[in-house]
Amino acid sequence: MTTNNRHSSSFRDPSGYIFQDQGVIKRAILPLYFKQYEALNASGLFQKLQSAGLLIPHEEVANSNSEIIIQPEQLSFMTYPYEWSFMQYKEAALLTLKIQKFAVEHGFSLKDASAFNVTFHKGRMLFIDTLSFDFYEEGQPWRAYKQFIMHFFGPLLLAKYTGADALKLMSTYLDGIPVDMLAAMLPFKTKLNPFLYTNIHLLAKFENKYSEDYDNTSKVRKLSKRAMLNMIEGLYDYIKKMKLENASEWGNYYDKTNYEDAAFKKKSDIINTWIKNLNVKTLIDVGGNDGTFVRKIDTTLEEALVCDIDNNAVDANYVQLRRSKETNMLPFMLDVLNPSAAIGFNNKERDAFLTRISSYAPDMTMALAVIHHMSLSGNIPFEMSAEFFASFSKHLIIEFPKRNDSWVQRLLNTKGEFKAHFDFYSISNFETAYAQYFDTIEILEIEGSERVMYLLKTKDD
Amino acid sequence: MIHFLYFDPGLGALILQAIAAAIAGVVLFSKNLMFKIKSFLGLVKQDDDVFDDINVKDSDIESNASSDDKQ
Repeated sequence: MTTNNRHSSSFRDPSGYIFQDQGVIKRAILPLYFKQYEALNASGLFQKLQSAGLLIPHEEVANSNSEIIIQPEQLSFMTYPYEWSFMQYKEAALLTLKIQKFAVEHGFSLKDASAFNVTFHKGRMLFIDTLSFDFYEEGQPWRAYKQFIMHFFGPLLLAKYTGADALKLMSTYLDGIPVDMLAAMLPFKTKLNPFLYTNIHLLAKFENKYSEDYDNTSKVRKLSKRAMLNMIEGLYDYIKKMKLENASEWGNYYDKTNYEDAAFKKKSDIINTWIKNLNVKTLIDVGGNDGTFVRKIDTTLEEALVCDIDNNAVDANYVQLRRSKETNMLPFMLDVLNPSAAIGFNNKERDAFLTRISSYAPDMTMALAVIHHMSLSGNIPFEMSAEFFASFSKHLIIEFPKRNDSWVQRLLNTKGEFKAHFDFYSISNFETAYAQYFDTIEILEIEGSERVMYLLKTKDD
Repeated sequence: MIHFLYFDPGLGALILQAIAAAIAGVVLFSKNLMFKIKSFLGLVKQDDDVFDDINVKDSDIESNASSDDKQ
């Protein structure tokens, strides 16, 4: 009845599928999964995981012989694994293991361990694939173990040893990073650690060795429940302690910039007044660092999306929101020069960043100390950045550092003899270009700095 | 058991788990032993304040369930 609206990412699992019903996301459960679904309800597993805030809450809205329909809590903005910072990725991995342990203790087991089963929602990672549970049979190994390594442990290890950018590989390998590739990419010292040797290198060897063996499954030995739980706990403990090897401590970024305290205060006062006057409830801060300026907004926001290209900044934001238990802050990684594309089968499994942010349509976009990076490092003409910022929200607060700003000078000096090619970077050219897409509401200079704040509104067509 | 329809778990990965579990058992055992020695000597560091441990505590389930009731 509703298959026409089946979500284009929902085809892997034959237990059911996600569809859209008048703008509301729902999940259909097929008869194949009825037994599991009833048992999960009867055992209280759903209810317990939901009360503990680990699994997305849902309610049953229809029940027939051919289909059960449940309606999950709606997600405001979906982020994908390749948009998470290292710490967020860690939390998603730990959540999956925690749920697997709890499930096994209650007679169930996760039948898959895809990183796409998790998303960031209301200040924490949340498991969103309600149909991932199957019956646990004592003695059975964890069928999703290899998938867990490919989706979680492998990418985290690559990030640990080569840098957080390795997590972006997940946008190419939607089914997880191949184990032989993981084994080849990790440094030799990982072979000397017995834990990493078995979970990565030996796994790659075994997978290779048995890849031609299509019918003989008798070699699979039974794995006791205790042994499986040891394996899960071992992974949990290791991942929990993981740190990036080359991560610089996130110092106070704003101490390093050329802000006087007074100018900093002035800037946040301007933002505050504008946000209040326009009664902003949702916003996106593009290049929002660790969320400093969003936290200085003293009106209550329903939600603030804060993205940055720097893993350290997003990690710092994440740690802060976890410690103070904020639920309206949604941090994620974004390279504004190359936002996530639409990928997967038919290019429709995972939506592009622009598609998601356009349908989210935040009341306000903030772009503070970003335009000089876009224009001078990314060579994006003002017309193009204006078009970008005008495409997803009605209002824009944008900060323009003038040519004399020390950061602008630094960027210009890196251009050497081609410095003259960047003469276009001037406040008048900026204003002319942005006037094609925006009407100006207010312009304020930040005293004590070389920077100007603009409050703009998109032109009504 | 319906997951057989779904994706290939990897035969090698299934066989490997006995070894992975044994190694993890040794690691956990020595970790617990070290913890006992360290706490005996008063060297236990404060726990991670961002990520909690693997067990879902009853208090997590109950406190949230009761606060839901109030809404």
